[in-house]
Amino acid sequence: MTNQQPEIQSNGPSKGGKGYFKAFRSYFSCVPMLGWLAGIIAAVLFERFLGDQISELLGLPKIPVLFGCMIMLKDFSLIPSALAFLVGVYFIPILLVGRALAPVFNGLAGMIYKISPMFSVVLHLALLYLALHLWADLSAYRLMTLKFTLVAVMLTLSLNVINGYMGEFSCSHPGFMALGAYAASVFTLVLFTNDRFFGEALLSPSMGVYFFPVAIILGGFAAALGALVIAIPSFRTRGDYLAIISLAFMFIVKSLIENLEVVGGPRGLGSQPNYASLPMVFGWTVLCIWVINNFVRSTLGKALNAVRDDESAADAMTVNTRRTKMVGFLFGAFWAGAAGGLFAHILRYVNPASFGLQRLAEILAMVYFGGLNSVHGSIVGAVSISLLGEALRPLELFKWIIIPLLLILVMIFRPTGLIAFKEFNVKQLVRPRN
Amino acid sequence: MTVFFQSLVNALQWGSFYALIALGYSMVYGVLMLFNFAHGDVFMVGAYISFIVATALTALAAAGTIAIPGWVVLLLTIVCAMMLNAIVGIIIERVGYRPLREAPRASAAITGLMIGIILETGVLAIMGAQRAKFPSLIQSVTYDVGGVFITNKKIMIVLVSIVLMLALDQFVKKTKWGMAMRAMAFDYTVVPLMGVPANVIAALTFAIGSGLAASAGCLFGVAYPVLDPYMGIVFGWKAFVAAILGGRGSILGATLAGFLLGFIEIFVALIFPSTMRDFIAYSIILLILTFRPHGFFGEPHSARLRL
Amino acid sequence: MKRSLSLVIGCLVIALALTPCAWAKSKTIKIGINAPITGDIPKVGEGSKYAAQMWLEDVEAAGGLEVGGQKYKVELVIEDNEAKAESAVKANTKMITQDEVLAIVGPQSSKQAVPAGGVANDWATPMITPWSTNPDSTKDRPYVFRGCFLDPFQGPVVANFITEEFGAAKAAVLYDVASDYPKGLAEFFKIAWEKIHGPGSVVAFESFTTKDADFSSQLTKIIQSGAEVIFTPQYYNEVALIVQQAHELGWQKPIVGSDSWGSAETVNLCGPDCYGLFFSSHYAAAGATGSTKAFIDRYEKKYGYVPDDVAALTWDSLGIVQKAIESMGKMTGNIEKDRTAVRNALAKVKDFEGITGKMTFTEDGDPIKCAVIVKINDKGEFEFYKSVCP
Repeated sequence: MTNQQPEIQSNGPSKGGKGYFKAFRSYFSCVPMLGWLAGIIAAVLFERFLGDQISELLGLPKIPVLFGCMIMLKDFSLIPSALAFLVGVYFIPILLVGRALAPVFNGLAGMIYKISPMFSVVLHLALLYLALHLWADLSAYRLMTLKFTLVAVMLTLSLNVINGYMGEFSCSHPGFMALGAYAASVFTLVLFTNDRFFGEALLSPSMGVYFFPVAIILGGFAAALGALVIAIPSFRTRGDYLAIISLAFMFIVKSLIENLEVVGGPRGLGSQPNYASLPMVFGWTVLCIWVINNFVRSTLGKALNAVRDDESAADAMTVNTRRTKMVGFLFGAFWAGAAGGLFAHILRYVNPASFGLQRLAEILAMVYFGGLNSVHGSIVGAVSISLLGEALRPLELFKWIIIPLLLILVMIFRPTGLIAFKEFNVKQLVRPRN
Repeated sequence: MTVFFQSLVNALQWGSFYALIALGYSMVYGVLMLFNFAHGDVFMVGAYISFIVATALTALAAAGTIAIPGWVVLLLTIVCAMMLNAIVGIIIERVGYRPLREAPRASAAITGLMIGIILETGVLAIMGAQRAKFPSLIQSVTYDVGGVFITNKKIMIVLVSIVLMLALDQFVKKTKWGMAMRAMAFDYTVVPLMGVPANVIAALTFAIGSGLAASAGCLFGVAYPVLDPYMGIVFGWKAFVAAILGGRGSILGATLAGFLLGFIEIFVALIFPSTMRDFIAYSIILLILTFRPHGFFGEPHSARLRL
Repeated sequence: MKRSLSLVIGCLVIALALTPCAWAKSKTIKIGINAPITGDIPKVGEGSKYAAQMWLEDVEAAGGLEVGGQKYKVELVIEDNEAKAESAVKANTKMITQDEVLAIVGPQSSKQAVPAGGVANDWATPMITPWSTNPDSTKDRPYVFRGCFLDPFQGPVVANFITEEFGAAKAAVLYDVASDYPKGLAEFFKIAWEKIHGPGSVVAFESFTTKDADFSSQLTKIIQSGAEVIFTPQYYNEVALIVQQAHELGWQKPIVGSDSWGSAETVNLCGPDCYGLFFSSHYAAAGATGSTKAFIDRYEKKYGYVPDDVAALTWDSLGIVQKAIESMGKMTGNIEKDRTAVRNALAKVKDFEGITGKMTFTEDGDPIKCAVIVKINDKGEFEFYKSVCP
């Protein structure tokens, strides 16, 4: 860290914009993840206690809820204030805390890492949760956006297993999501709620929260079962037929639910219990990332990659290609179903129209924007598209010109997405930086 | 029996739209191995272009500057719309697909999806929220043939689409450019080395596909005179199903599959409770693909995905 | 490093200097509009938006809303829900917690109003959905109201009208199975019809899916079934296609519709094919009198077309909100208390004279309103034919 500083002075100012950025990066490169998280928590706490005063001082109507994007787009005269808020409340505290306390956190991170890398990961996750919780606690709108974003992360990752790691083109994710959403909703509604669809609760409603994970898993299995219907005919041969079989499957699921009066038909199914709290959604998302990350790094995951790159070669190397593809596909579908179950309990209403072509376009966009074959790519893709979708709300119609344009540009300059074909090494991430 | 024949007539009309749109999909898919997901929206743009051309022409005719009968206006509209939409197709290929020629196929598919959204939003922004009413160019005449009602529009639509399909078939089989396209479809990497200009062929493929979509859009306007900016989405995806069902790059296959899809949708609604239409119709397609995984005319190819 | 730091500080100073001087918060009342401006039904969103903007003009001309002898400025917060359920929920949450609106008007269709109503009720914010006819939107939700009558009322109205007017005994229904409004109304109509004419008297109950354009096989089935009348509770764009295709297939008997026909677009798109048909509605534009006529004329002058029922209902919903706010005595400044006060005032509104008829809310928050049977006359105008009250 010490030997990096002279480099900055010689390199930084002379090379203009890019040099500045490089200097900036290397100046902060010594900050470990722990430091960044601490910085974020500090910033969020700062916002929590002084945000109101600062925004009033800057002439903002309220604390900017999504990094000031909405305020900026709605009233151009407020752009400087919103930017000032952003810099003052987020950037400066994060950078300051991160950089100033870097030695401390590096030492700390090293100590914890030595005890057990696993423990270090858990600690980081706890801190991340704390930061998100404090951030989202300030406004219900933030909370809502955060929950939907986390669900989007799960969906994107699960589709990346099929479209990225396996190299097929599947269009049935909205269908899997619908199966999961309906299965989980029916489970909680039948057992734990008094509602007009299924009458009295069969079990005591107070137990519901503890059984909620069961509902989500059930949703996952329902989706995996549906995936089996596609997998059996489509993995007999190689080609683009999965694309239409899965598309046909999506139409079938939607039409089926529309005809099932028991679950409300096109009117939808409402009044799901409010079980999907932030810790629950966060926990499931982390679990999903962890399991998928382990899956794609396992032998089976590598076999998937081999099948994608050259099926006959993989076959010759004793990979059971059909079984591998089936497992990968069902696995992806399972997580899509789980995400659907969470989605239903966050929105607390599902209807078949939510799982149509529009949703398909959205999920596909997230996967390819973030990057194929990469876990952090998916996270980045899902988070940025979800947040962008919310932040550009004031633009109304033009939102749907700007987002697609952005995606086209990304596709042209980085055809496989922003961060593609990279391994997600959690342990590397939590290491001290010296 | 009259019901059967009546539905047959209906299905012919409905299927010809699927077939015309599926042809565009199939050509791009055959020659460039790409899913052109913007194609449904290209169809929509074609319908809107025809709407504008037709409205302008009828306004001219009404103003008395030129006295032209309705069917001439219709013919002019189809030709103009096909040409204009071909330009739209070429622009889309140039902007959205050419930079991605070497990229994974799926990336190009996503670009197509996004171009589609831009087209939808753009048309919504330009044309406004109200739906467009396609001017009635020819007077609708209903003939009663033994209890089966046939309109002159239906006959015209089926005839025009069949003529277009035959023309395309002849073009691909007989002309130099058509041969180059078939060669490209046969081997994408080697043929350009033989002196076939790949970029021109790609642009030509898009132009023809978009032109066919425009003719479908114009005929659609005649048969179902209500246009809205989102009408291409469902059509596009269903024609995509038809295109692949027909087999890779097979013109005959795409045509037949388009008609088949129309027949399935119409007859399923007729025989079964119509609420279950999509469920049964797509289950049938699922079954067909289970037993003929390469479509009707596709050959089992081991083409590697360029991922 | 020093230079970049000074750059940041410089930016900050400039930013601070540029901040507008609106230090003190002014007293405004915010009303949220949750409308589908993009998505499947942009015309509905446009109608709601225009009606709301016209209402705002009126309020501004009057110098704001008067509550307890004090004038308050009014600000509209218009959010697009993209015709999606989850987006409507997000928009409601945003308006309630972020913009701190006093009341919400919208969303329009039931698929958005049902979940969005849940959010409004949880946050104790009064919401009026002008157009949603699904009973679930307001059921067990004290804070959610609606501006229109319900399907269980409209179904029998149409069934009785057809029986009396045409003397038909066998009816056919054609509806969109994937859209909850037509489906609900189709089912209520079937129940009402079979109550009058006995089971099996609805001889064909056919459906299609949203965005379909070809109804020929359904219509062929209907014609074969020997039905004497078709009831089709569809939106204006489908109405045009259904009526034309029915005529092309040789159907000469009457076709009857519901309130969703009540848009100027119906006649625009359908043309002479629709002349002489009947439908039930909230209000009839042609031959309207008094404030209804004034509203229609003004809207037409401003935006160039006759307002449809969504615009009229949104206008009335805003009117009722205005009346409730003005009658609640005083604003405490505490948004939660004020919202509850608005809600209580809304529940107490009696015989509100709206342009779509008199309104009084029941305990569920549904209005008791009369339905109007409208005939499309030979000039393509919506003509008042008769009125049916509960």
